[in-house]
Amino acid sequence: MAAEEPGDACSSSAWRRRQEVPEKPNYALKYTLVGHSAAVSSVKFSPDGEWLASSSADKVIIIWGAYDGKYKKTLYGHSLEISDVAWSSDSTCLVSASDDKTLKIWDVRSGKCLRTLQGHSDYVFCCNFNPASTLIVSGSFDESVKIWEVKTGKCLKTLTAHSDPVSAVHFNSTGSLIVSGSYDGLCRIWDAASGQCLKTLAVDDNLPVSFVKFSPNGKYILTSTLDSTLRLWDYSRGRCLKTYTGHKNEKYCVFASFSVTGGKWIVSGSEDNLVYIWNVQTKEIVQKLQGHTDVVITAACHPTENIIASAALENDKTIKLWISDC
Amino acid sequence: MEGDGSDPEPPDAGEDSKSENGENAPIYCICRKPDINCFMIGCDSCNEWFHGDCIRITEKMAKAIREWYCRECREKDPKLEIRYRHKKSRERDGNERDSSEPRDEGGGRKRPVPDPDLQRRAGSGTGVGAMLARGSTSPHKSSPQPLVATPSQHHQQQQQIKRSARMCGECEACRRTEDCGHCDFCRDMKKFGGPNKIRQKCRLRQCQLRARLSPVTPSESLPRPRRPPPTQQQPQPSQKLGRIREDEGAVASSAVKEPPEATATPEPLSDEDLTLDPDLYQDFCAGAFDDHGLPWMSDTEESPFLDPALRKRAVKVKHVKRREKKSEKKVMERVKWKEERYKRHRQKQKHKDKWKHPERADAKDPASLPQCLGPGCVRAAQPGSKYCSDDCGMKLAANRIYEILPQRIQQWQQSPCIAEEHGKKLLERIRREQQSARTRLQEMERRFHELEAIILRAKQQAVREDEESNENDSDDTDLQIFCVSCGHPINPRVALRHMERCYAKYESQTSFGSMYPTRIEGATRLFCDVYNPQSKTYCKRLQVLCPEHSRDPKVPADEVCGCPLVRDVFELTGDFCRLPKRQCNRHYCWEKLRRAEVDLERVRVWYKLDELFEQERNVRTAMTNRAGLLALMLHQTIQHDPLTTDLRSSADR
Repeated sequence: MAAEEPGDACSSSAWRRRQEVPEKPNYALKYTLVGHSAAVSSVKFSPDGEWLASSSADKVIIIWGAYDGKYKKTLYGHSLEISDVAWSSDSTCLVSASDDKTLKIWDVRSGKCLRTLQGHSDYVFCCNFNPASTLIVSGSFDESVKIWEVKTGKCLKTLTAHSDPVSAVHFNSTGSLIVSGSYDGLCRIWDAASGQCLKTLAVDDNLPVSFVKFSPNGKYILTSTLDSTLRLWDYSRGRCLKTYTGHKNEKYCVFASFSVTGGKWIVSGSEDNLVYIWNVQTKEIVQKLQGHTDVVITAACHPTENIIASAALENDKTIKLWISDC
Repeated sequence: MEGDGSDPEPPDAGEDSKSENGENAPIYCICRKPDINCFMIGCDSCNEWFHGDCIRITEKMAKAIREWYCRECREKDPKLEIRYRHKKSRERDGNERDSSEPRDEGGGRKRPVPDPDLQRRAGSGTGVGAMLARGSTSPHKSSPQPLVATPSQHHQQQQQIKRSARMCGECEACRRTEDCGHCDFCRDMKKFGGPNKIRQKCRLRQCQLRARLSPVTPSESLPRPRRPPPTQQQPQPSQKLGRIREDEGAVASSAVKEPPEATATPEPLSDEDLTLDPDLYQDFCAGAFDDHGLPWMSDTEESPFLDPALRKRAVKVKHVKRREKKSEKKVMERVKWKEERYKRHRQKQKHKDKWKHPERADAKDPASLPQCLGPGCVRAAQPGSKYCSDDCGMKLAANRIYEILPQRIQQWQQSPCIAEEHGKKLLERIRREQQSARTRLQEMERRFHELEAIILRAKQQAVREDEESNENDSDDTDLQIFCVSCGHPINPRVALRHMERCYAKYESQTSFGSMYPTRIEGATRLFCDVYNPQSKTYCKRLQVLCPEHSRDPKVPADEVCGCPLVRDVFELTGDFCRLPKRQCNRHYCWEKLRRAEVDLERVRVWYKLDELFEQERNVRTAMTNRAGLLALMLHQTIQHDPLTTDLRSSADR
C-alpha cells in the first residue's frame, strides 16, 4: 500500500483522490455524547454537516454539534418513544416518527414543533424527507407507507405497501422513487409521483427486512435482513450483487449507511456491541469499532468528513463519534 | 294424484291399513285418503302419516314438536308422550325441515314418500308445538307420561348439541356448560362483576376447532423443538403464548411476549422451565391475569405487561389474520422478531405501570418500603417517591450539583463550542442590522422635521386669489365619478373632498387597536393611541390619518393652501399654491397626506428594529441556555482525544 502518513493523510478530498484508494480506515473514538435517559433509536447528521440529531425512547430529540460533540438543544413534544428522525435538505427542519402514531415536523432553530402529522393507526417506525424537502414518507406498524406534504401537513397518499410492519422507507437521490422494506420479507420500489409499485424484491422467503436504503448514486439498494446479512442489489435487474456478513443482526432494525467521504465503505451497527465497516467492493470487514456496551442500533456517516456517529440501546444510551483519516 | 275426498270412506279405526282404493295409491291418515299434498305429520311409533287438517295440527305447531305419537298409539301405549322441543332447536330444526322438505305448493309429488328416514326426521321435526303444551285448547295435548327411551330420544339428546359457526359442538370446550369465572373473559362478564367491555365466551369454553382464540392447555403448550440458543432469549412463556396466536398474525400478541430484560444474556432453556408446564396452565388462568405479576417473570418491573397486552389483544381482535399457509417455525420467528421490536416500547409499559400501580406500594407492608435517598437519612421513603420529604430531595440535588457541576463546566470549557461561535457571528450580524435601522430612523426623523417646516412656511403665505383662477378647471362637469365608499355619483370637481369625507365616515365606524399603549421614546406622533373603553384598546391608526379620533379642523376663510408646487411631478419650483384652502381642489389635504407618508416610513423602521431586537434576544437566550445549569447537568460530552477539539478537517475550518 502506498505509504500514507496518518498525520497528513486525507486532509482534503482532492488530495485524497490523487492517492490510491485506501485499504482500511482507521476510525478512532473521539467523543462520547451522554445525555439521553433511555435507549437511543436513531442518529442522523444534518446535510450541511453541522449538527447531529438523535432520537430516543425517552421521547425527546437532542441536537448536538457534529464537530465538537457539544449539546445544543432538546426538542420536546412527543408523548411516546421516538423511533426515527430525519433532516430536511436545508438542515432547518427535522421530522420525527413516534409510537404515539404521529410524525412531527420541527424547526431546529427555534426548537418548536411546526406540524404534527396524524393519520397512521399504529406506531410510526421510519421517516424520511425527499431531496426537495417538500414531501415526507413514513412507514408504520400499520403496514402502510404514507406520503405527506410538508407545507400543509396533509397525507397525500397512502400505499398499502406490505402485510407486516414497514421497517424502513427512503427516497432516492432524485426523489422520484421510494423504497420500502418490511418484516414480510419484501422490498418494494414505488413511484413517488403516482404511488405505483414498480418493483418487488423478495429478499429471501419470509426473512424480515430490517432496513433498506438507496445508494447515493441511486443505482443500488442496500438491504439488511434479520439473518445478519447485508445485501447490495441492482434493483433494476433484481440481482444481488454483494453480500456483507460477519456482524450480528437478528432482532433489531439496525441502520446501515454508505460512507463515501473517504474510502467506500459500508457501515453498520450490530448486536454484538460493535460497529462494522466493510469494503464495498471486496466485502471484507475492514474495521470493527469497539466501545459501546449494548447493541449498536444505528450508525450514520457525516456528509463531508470522515466521521461516524453510532448509538446504542438501553444499557449504554450514549452516542459515540469516531473519526478517521480515510 | 288428487285425493279430494269426494268419495270418503268411513274412517277406519286402524290406521295401519293401507287399503288401496283401486288406484294403487297408498292411503294415510284417519281419513284414509292418498292425498299427500297437504301438511302431514307422522306418528313415531306406528309410522302412519296423518293430515294436519284431519287431526288439527298446523305446520307451525308441528315445528315445536320433536316426537309425536298418534292418538291411537298413545291410547294403546300410555308410555308414549309427545315431546316438544327446546325453543332454539325448534327454530333450527324447523329451518332444516323447511329446507329439506318442500312446502305444499300444489301439484306433483311434493311430499316425498314417507320413508323411515323421513319419518324419523318428521317424527322429530313435527309434532305438536309447545303451544299445545302451554295452551289448553288442543285436543291433542298429551297427558304427562313417563319418558320412553326410544331412538328418537337419542336424537333429542343429540339435538341438544349446539353447533354454530364458532362452535363445533363436540370438543371439550364446547361441552362445558359453566364459565370458569377466573379467566379474563369471565372476569369481564357482568355476572362476575366485570365492565362487559370484551364480551367473549369463557376462555375454557372457546371451541378448540372453530373459535378465533384457542385456550391454553398444558398439552398444547409443549411446542415444537426449541430453537438453539443464543438466538432465543426469552423463556417459554413466549412460546406458550405464541401458540395461542399461532394461526394469527395479530400484532398484539407480540406485546404479550415481552422479554424480561434488555440485558438478558442468551441462556439456554433450562429444564426447570420445562417442568413448569403443568402448573403453568393453572397459573395462567388463575393468577396470570392479575396485576401482581406472572409466575414465570423474575423482573417485577416487566410483569404487569400482560394485562395491557391482553387489553390490547381484545381491542385488536379484528386485526387478526390467518397464516395457515406459513410454516410454524417461520411464524414463531416472525412473532419473536416482532416482539423484539417492542423492546423499544417498553417505556410505554413502564409508563402504564406507574399509573396502574401506585396502590401497590400501599399494599406492601411498611417494612418493605425503600429507604429515603436523602444524604444521611434513615427514614422510609414516601410511597411513590424516592424521598421521605422535600428537604431530603433538595439536599441530594444540591450535593449532586456540587459534585458534578464543576467537572462538567471544565469539560465544557476544554474545547471551544462551535455553536457558540455561530451564535456570536449571528449576534454580530444582528447588531449591524440594528445599526443600519437606526440610521434610517434618524433619516426619517429628519424628513419629518423638514416637512413640518415646509408646512409652516406655506401657511405664512398670503392669499392671492387672482393668481390661479377657477377656469383652470377645464374638466367636464358632465362627467360623473362614483364615490368608492358610498357609490353615489359625484361631480369630479368636488370628488376629492367628498371621497375623503365619505371614507372617514365609513372608516370611523370600525376601530383598530391593541391592548397596549405606545411607549416609544423619540416617536413624537405616530399612533393615535386613543383609549376605547368599550374594547379596552388603544387606537393604533396613524395619528394624522385616524378618521375616528381626529377631526379635520375647520378651515378659516383666509387660510392659504400653501402646497409646494412642482413642475414635471418631481421638481420643486419653490413656489407655493396661493389659492385659499377652501377653494383649492388640487391640493386638498396635502399636509395630512405628506405627514402620513413620513409617519408610515417611520413606523416601518420601528417594526424592523423590533424584529431585530427579538432575534437578538433569541440568540442570547440560546447561548446562555446552552451552557446553562440544566443543560450541563443533563448532558455530557466526553472527549477522548484531548488534541482533537474540532472534527472538521483543516481545509473546511
